[in-house]
Parts: sequence; structure tokens; C-alpha cells
Amino acid sequence: MNENKRRHTQNGEVKVGVLCSRIRVEEKLLIQALQERNVSFQSIDSRDFALALGQGEDSYPDPTKSLETLQECDVVLIRCLSHSRAYYLSRWLEGRGIPTVSSHQAITTCGDKMLTSTALREADVPIPNTRIAFTRETALEAIEEMNYPVVLKPLFGSWGRLLARINDRCAAEAVLEHKTRLGDYTHGVFYIQEYVEKPGRDIRSFVVGDRTIAAIYRQSSHWITNTARGGEATKCPITTEVDSLSRAAARAVGGGVVAIDLLEDPDGRLLVNEVNHTPEFRNSIDATGVDIPGEIIDHVLEVAMKGKSGC
Amino acid sequence: MGVFCSRVRMEEKKLFSAFRAQGIPFERVDVRRQIFSLNGKNPTERFDVVLIRCLSHTRSLYVAKMLEHHGMRVVNGHQCIAICGDKVLTTMALRENKIPTPRTTMTFSLESSLMAMEAMGYPVVIKPAVGSWGRLMAKVNDRESAEAVLEHKLALGHDFPYYIQEFVEKPGRDIRTLVVGEKTVYAVYRESQHWITNTARGGETSLCPVTPEIDRISQAAARAVKGEIVAVDLLEKADGELLVNEVNHTPEFHGASKVAEGDIASTIIKYIKEVREIERGRTL
Repeated sequence: MNENKRRHTQNGEVKVGVLCSRIRVEEKLLIQALQERNVSFQSIDSRDFALALGQGEDSYPDPTKSLETLQECDVVLIRCLSHSRAYYLSRWLEGRGIPTVSSHQAITTCGDKMLTSTALREADVPIPNTRIAFTRETALEAIEEMNYPVVLKPLFGSWGRLLARINDRCAAEAVLEHKTRLGDYTHGVFYIQEYVEKPGRDIRSFVVGDRTIAAIYRQSSHWITNTARGGEATKCPITTEVDSLSRAAARAVGGGVVAIDLLEDPDGRLLVNEVNHTPEFRNSIDATGVDIPGEIIDHVLEVAMKGKSGC
Repeated sequence: MGVFCSRVRMEEKKLFSAFRAQGIPFERVDVRRQIFSLNGKNPTERFDVVLIRCLSHTRSLYVAKMLEHHGMRVVNGHQCIAICGDKVLTTMALRENKIPTPRTTMTFSLESSLMAMEAMGYPVVIKPAVGSWGRLMAKVNDRESAEAVLEHKLALGHDFPYYIQEFVEKPGRDIRTLVVGEKTVYAVYRESQHWITNTARGGETSLCPVTPEIDRISQAAARAVKGEIVAVDLLEKADGELLVNEVNHTPEFHGASKVAEGDIASTIIKYIKEVREIERGRTL
């Protein structure tokens, strides 16, 4: 299946594709890490080409040659901003035998909160109490049963968008009604979670391959602690518990390069809240002193070498 | 046995009657009244086999996932619903299994969409990756309509990828087959003046002989999408070659039941019964 690809690489020489749209700080740092390692790489904009879904049907005009480049890669690092792009492109590459970081399975699982939750539970990873309902009425019933406050989350989405903390019945009614007007089909699935009283912070750990390479506390006076929303990053010690839970969560979703959000409940127990398949890490490098982009690229090269040696 | 559904259509009524006629106890569960818990036990864990018959694809998808998560045998399974519910995933699964489909691309920008359409040659069809009953399918005959349709899609906030397909000149009809287990139960022609031949949009139904070729391609398509009870849409090219267009995970069959021989619902229920026997054998 990979004959075409092998022709372009010899003797351990590896070609890395970086699939992205907008180049953020993270992508710049990743590209820098590739340059420092003298790796042959190409950054490719996913908006440039039309992808034929059938094999042997790639004869679409490709003025920038980016599609040709993509198919010559030994591994593709997926850094698309949009989940949907990451999802479909990783699937397409998988069909052509080109490994991706993260894998299509990890992107599928992490991109959908319901699939994340079921995968974590099936691996016995603790998560906050979660319920699913399909109508406003049953959603309200589930919320009342769970008791306030609860958190309503869209199945898809990042950066804390449309997360709603619901403190009472009035808020529940208002938010549920607004959700049903949002149009997207998936807003008709209500994902309801108990609100975990966390100590003004949560923990984000980074797992690369099967190692927990770094962890930060995200401190915020707001209940949404995303650093993209002003949460402040400080170093968090990688305790045995943080390490084992992070790696278990990463394995459960399909591994690769993922960031795990952990909540400390009032009893000091750790719960896994979310897993992210294309983590932002700009604020975590200085806080932890860990070369996160370097670690990611070393892992990507490892995946490429494994793919080439066929194991 | 459980039947998980929302609104009860004619199909569901026929399935319920078939259960009764075969003396099989079953329970209808309205997913609109259910709360599913991810922690601990669920009240729904009492079924050997669950037949999913929700109207909405999203509901079917997540209900199947929840039930499988809690260890139940679900028909169709979550994976089949995920593949059939998404045209990009369907086409990739079919092509990876060497099943012919119309030429199709996916695109991630306005520019590459136009480029793909021009390269493919008009007319082309743009379809939402997720959606049914022929909704929002657009046949584009020239560059001006391409630009107009794309601009409207963007204005509607339709997310990429766009699914762009060659238009197959079909003889005023397409073929829909029903696969249950490993059998092609029937095939019907759906005739229409309109290029969208969906019976929900007024296409007329007549019986089509299940030729060995129709049988073979229908089976292969069902296997490719991991389907157990699926409807396969086939297009006939001018040279007679058959292409698989779509596969549906919750087949409607009221149109076909007027012309097809045998009782479709009872064939489906017989299959579900077989699945139950296998499941029981496994747990013993």
C-alpha cells in the first residue's frame, strides 16, 4: 500500500507533513523543532486541494502540488484548527496507509464528548457523573435529578465555547430553549454533567506516546479555566496519580499527542474531564520548562520510523 | 427485545405487528423519554437485542453508542450508523472495498470546491455530508450556479468538507435494494421526473428483478459499511454499470412494501430473532 511513499524515502530519511490552516505560535514552534532536527518536512494548507475519495482518482488539478506532497509523507502531523478538517483528513490519510499524529481514532474520540466519556468509562477512568438526554423535557428532568449546579456541554467544540454552568431551574429552562434553536443537529443531544467543585483550578497534562511529559495547573477566577480564556498556567508536579491517570486516559482514546484535563474533586480524587487531540501548549512551555514541541516532534519521527519499518 | 424509536411511522407499526405475529415479546422504548447515564447501571440494560428505529440520525447514532457501551447487542450497530450517516465516510468505506461509486471529492474551501467542480465537469452534485431525504442536495449545471450555491452554503454556516460528486445520467430512475443479514430481500426502481428520486420526494416505486449483479453489489455495500439491515441506493450508468450511491441505516420501506413480494417487516424480525439466538448461545 505504501509503495508510492517508499520510493521517496531511503535509508531512514523521513518526510514529515504538517497539515494546518492558520499558523499559530504552536505550529511555529513545531516547525522550528523540525528544522532543529534537520528533518525534511512540508507544511500543507488543507484548504488548497480537493481530495478524491476513491483510490486511483487523484488526478485533480493541484496547482500548489500540495496534494502530491501530502501523499509522499511518511507521517502527517495534524494541526488543523477545525475539528472537522482534522477528522476527515486523518480518515482520508488512514485510507491511504499514511500514519497521522494524532490518529483518526483519537481525533474521532476526542472530538466528541460522548465518545470520549464512553471510551474513558470503558477503560475504568473516573469521570464526573454524566447523563445524556434527547429532548428538552428529559434534559430538564435529568438536571433536576442530578441537582444544581450542573454543566451543559455541546458534544463538539473547544476553547470552552458554549459550556454552560446551570445553577437553577430558570437557567436550565433558558439555556435548553436556546440550545434547541441553535440549528445544528448535535445540539439536540443534551450532554449533562455534575459540576465538580474544584479548588479554583484544574490540571492539564500532556501525554506524548505513552509518557506524561508535562502538567500545569490552570488557575482562574472563572469556572472555565482554559488558558485561551485567561486561565493562568503554573507548573503542576507529575504525581504518580496524575501520571497513571493521564496515560490511562490517553490510551483509552487511542493515544498519540493529547492533552488531558483533570479535575480535583473535594475529596481530592482526580476525574478526567476532557481529552484534546490537537493541544495548544504555548503557555505551558515556560511554566513547566519542558520542550513540548520537541517532545511532540520526536514522537512524530518515531511514528514515521515505525511505519517505514512496517511494525 | 427492544425497539428504540421516536415517532412511530408505518414501518415501525409493521415491525411491531411482525413481532406479535411471530409471538416474540418486545418492548417499544421512546428515546425521547429516556435519560441515559454514563455512570452506573441503566434501566435499559434488560434487552438481548435492540433494534434502532429513530427518525433522527443523531439520535440513532448516540442511542446505539450508549446501548453498546452498556453491553447490549444493537442492530444496526454504532459503527454502521456512523458510516452510513456520513456520505464522506460511506464513499471511503465503499471505495476501500473496491465497490464502484460516482467520482467524488471533498473540499475544505470555496476555491478548491470551484476547482474540483470545474475539473470534474458539469453537471455535478453537492450534498451535505450529513443529511437525509434528499435535503439540501444541489445539482449544479454551470459555474454561475456553482458560485451561487457555494455562497449560500457558506452563508448558512455549513461546515466543510463539501461533498462534490459527478452527476450520473441515470435512466429516469434509480434502484433501491434492502439487505437483511446476508440476503438481498428486494429491489425496487424509484422513478421520477426530478433528478432526486427519493420516494419521500414523490418518486414512484416499481419492482426490480434482483439480478446476480444487483445481489452481489448490494451485499458487498452492506458489508463495507458493517450494515445488517440497510437499504442500498444504486445508480445505473448508461453502459449498464452499477454504482453505489448511498447506504441507509434505518430503511423506510412503505413504498417498496406495496410492490415487493413477501412481508418485509417479518423478514426483518426473523433476522432479529436469529441474532437473539446467537447472543443467547454466547451468554450460556
